[in-house]
Amino acid sequence: MLIDTVIFLPLLTALVLLLIPRAATSVQKGVALAGALLTFAFSLAFLSLGPNVAADQTIPWISGPWVAAYHVRVDALRLFFVLLTTLVSVACIWAAFSYAHAQRLRGYLCLLLAFETTLLGLFTAADLLLFYLYWDLMLIPVFLLLTGFADHPGARQAAWSYLIYNGAGGLALLLGIVALVSQSHTFELGTLALRLTGPAEAWIFIAFALAFLIKTPAFPFHSWMPPTYTSAPPPVVAMVSGVQSKAGLFAMLAFALPLFPHAAHAFALPLLVLAVASVVYGAIAAMGEQDMKTLVAFSSLSHLGLVWLAFFAFDITSVSAGILMLVSHGLIAAALFLLLGFIEERVGTRDLSRFGGLAEKAPRLGVMMLIAAMAALGLPGLSGFAGEFLILIGSWQTQPVFTSIALVAVVLACVYMLKLLQGTMHGPVRVPDERTVSEMRPREAWLLAPLLAGIIFLGVWPGWFNDRTPSGTGANTIVGAVLAEPGQR
Amino acid sequence: MMSVAGVSISWAVLAPIVALSAGGLLIMLVDLVSRSASKTVLYSIGIVSCVASFLALVPLYGHTETTLAGAFASDRFSWAFDVLLLLTLAITLVLSSLRKAEDGGSPGSYAALLVFCTIGGMVMAGANNLIIIFLGIEQLSLSLYVLAGTGFPREASQEAALKYVLLGSLASGFLIFGSALLYGSAGGVGLAALHSAAVSGGTLFIAGFALFLVGLAFKLALAPFHTWVPDVYEGSPLAVTGYMAVAVKVAAFAVLARIAYEVFGQDSFALVPLWSVAILSMLVGNLGAIRQRNLKRLLGYSSIAQAGYMVVALAGVQQSGLNTLLFYLFAYALTSLGAFGVMALLGDGTDAYADLDAYKGLHFRRPWPAAAMALFFFSLAGIPATAGFYGKLLLLQQGFLAGPWGIALAVTLVAGTLVSFYVYGKVVWDMYSYVEGEAAAPSGNAFAPWVAVAAGAVGTIVFGILPQTFTALHL
Repeated sequence: MLIDTVIFLPLLTALVLLLIPRAATSVQKGVALAGALLTFAFSLAFLSLGPNVAADQTIPWISGPWVAAYHVRVDALRLFFVLLTTLVSVACIWAAFSYAHAQRLRGYLCLLLAFETTLLGLFTAADLLLFYLYWDLMLIPVFLLLTGFADHPGARQAAWSYLIYNGAGGLALLLGIVALVSQSHTFELGTLALRLTGPAEAWIFIAFALAFLIKTPAFPFHSWMPPTYTSAPPPVVAMVSGVQSKAGLFAMLAFALPLFPHAAHAFALPLLVLAVASVVYGAIAAMGEQDMKTLVAFSSLSHLGLVWLAFFAFDITSVSAGILMLVSHGLIAAALFLLLGFIEERVGTRDLSRFGGLAEKAPRLGVMMLIAAMAALGLPGLSGFAGEFLILIGSWQTQPVFTSIALVAVVLACVYMLKLLQGTMHGPVRVPDERTVSEMRPREAWLLAPLLAGIIFLGVWPGWFNDRTPSGTGANTIVGAVLAEPGQR
Repeated sequence: MMSVAGVSISWAVLAPIVALSAGGLLIMLVDLVSRSASKTVLYSIGIVSCVASFLALVPLYGHTETTLAGAFASDRFSWAFDVLLLLTLAITLVLSSLRKAEDGGSPGSYAALLVFCTIGGMVMAGANNLIIIFLGIEQLSLSLYVLAGTGFPREASQEAALKYVLLGSLASGFLIFGSALLYGSAGGVGLAALHSAAVSGGTLFIAGFALFLVGLAFKLALAPFHTWVPDVYEGSPLAVTGYMAVAVKVAAFAVLARIAYEVFGQDSFALVPLWSVAILSMLVGNLGAIRQRNLKRLLGYSSIAQAGYMVVALAGVQQSGLNTLLFYLFAYALTSLGAFGVMALLGDGTDAYADLDAYKGLHFRRPWPAAAMALFFFSLAGIPATAGFYGKLLLLQQGFLAGPWGIALAVTLVAGTLVSFYVYGKVVWDMYSYVEGEAAAPSGNAFAPWVAVAAGAVGTIVFGILPQTFTALHL
């Protein structure tokens, strides 16, 4: 019951919003925020529900011509993705209050809340059909938000690259799923373990991996990302980059690796190459970028490439650090994109060469930006460091060559993150068009505070996190299944 | 049971058709006797005869029987197709209530033709030999040729009717000539006789079947026999286009499926020409739709692609393929009729909302029709949680069960779907784009089209989220 509440409360809130007149914007804001906060509060209850499986619920759904169930669960692997989603959603919905078009606010909030439900559904789905349902449904709110609710002139074009790229990935995944299910006749993960071998397994794994590489995204499937991240409104991009970009890697761990262990090991090399290429390419592209949102977009590419490396290094430390890194990156990316939104609102441009020195005018903004940027470049004591460091330690054991190359790129993170921080905050005050830069409003500070608190908490005490993820709880089935060489099975 | 000239006739089996025919004749009679009969009365007679025909169908449920010396069958398969055809007719009659006097034609002949058209479709659904198949197809087609022209004050409607009748008669020629050759090779017109001819093969049979398939592919709008579709869809009156998109497809698929199963059985390799036209249709339909700025033409191209998809259901010639075909046809019918319903709703029965430009920013003027239209287009594109998605999932499975040709079909289906994301997404994109200060095109809000929209939306969502409900209907 709790799990259903958490998944569908945002959608329910969205439906309630539709009943509120368009003009009553303050009521809409109150209802939307209350819905998001309640969802977050409910999801916190999962933390107290025991170490391995916090919730598990199965309702028969389809019995012919194949078996599928409405099977949702929150376990050690899924728990933090759920918490990340609910936490980031609160911040994003709150941040959406500054949306300029009162007439369109209701639709905007509804779509954000619907998006939250699809994300929560995705992270809790334990049935392949249910998972696919949410996987594709995720596209719709983002497509509509980009089409009708963004001010950036490029957003309506970006909606297309988003839809077509991710749609192509989704269809590849669909082909893979149908190919799998036409042999197994079930979508239930528990019984799906039919241990395919040979070309069938390889092809299906490729289909899955392609979808996940596009969604993350990883080099060279990332070309939808810079326009989408740059032109989407800050709350939307914070949700896409903070939460949705984790879907591919999450699904790799939860679905593809346990289902296709042989193929995963066989294709590790090409995937490691793509991972390291993402790390390096993202870092270099970010260094040369003048648009601050695009810069952070490329830094995302680089950081998530590191998680691909972590997973396909097949080392217990690196895989569990990869999960930490995903959650940490979710918090950091959401915080950074929201902060950049606040900055853009104040200076009216994203071009780093046209403004600077904001810390003097808005010291609190400067401090928050400092924390987020330092976390992104991997300063010890913040969550980014814990993730990166453990990944590198782990993957060094099995993939020293790829790890060394990735290490160089991690150092480059200092270059682009300091460029972002200095360019926006330090130096003499430069603001285009004589605008007055105001200090952060209390709402802006408060909505960011939980994200930054999470970053600091995970950085100071990663052990707390680790004790609750699969490697720490002894629920080694997932990580164990990933690590075992197929021959030893 | 009675017997005419030595042929026994089971009236129970024919009752649904008889009931509908009586309704059609009554419409003509009332129209003739009372010149002042309002269109509401005439359309109501049509809807009542739909209900009567459905009631006559109910006792036939789960009942397998042939009559007229095996020429006409009533089974689970024809039953489901009949229900779908009646549903389509009823919804079309409701949508037609927006027709105005200046649209041309008398409401009496219009309604009667729709009814007769549906009779043709029901005859096709049960036809068990080549003669009855041809009779059904001609009954359906001749009525539709006239219906396409019932908007005759508009030149486009005349053009549509003329194009349809010219190309349609050519297709009928292929059909009848193919039937003659098939008769020559099999020594009989029954599908059972054809089965033995198919097993032994022979040039005459192959030539006959090829010609027959050309004729049928024309009716199904499969590429490369699809060229009539865009113009006829665009020119015909709105409700007729909606009817055409659904009923013709349903009836022609009934014929195709019966032939695939009864004549060819498991020997699906013999149907390679069919798989080829299906692959071509998926590509032509989706690629052709890209540049369309008229929604009726766009849906015309879309129906070409959808017909290609539906052929995949037959790829394995398995029993589950029939269920898949039925599910997809129901999903397609509900979705298409819903989309035409939204068009009729906004344009108040006219073609005002056939132009895609009219949809710019629709969400910000009319959120509910825009949401309904988006739902229907998502379903046509196969986005999850709609009936169209689950239908595609079933189709893909049939493909994967059917060996190399099936996999080729499945992969093409997926590729076509990706193209269709752009095609259908474009309409949604237009509707949800915020256009500042654009003069809003006036939009209607009559009650009748809401019936079609609501039926379509509920069916699309319920069958999409709980596909088991469709199975539970045991159609």
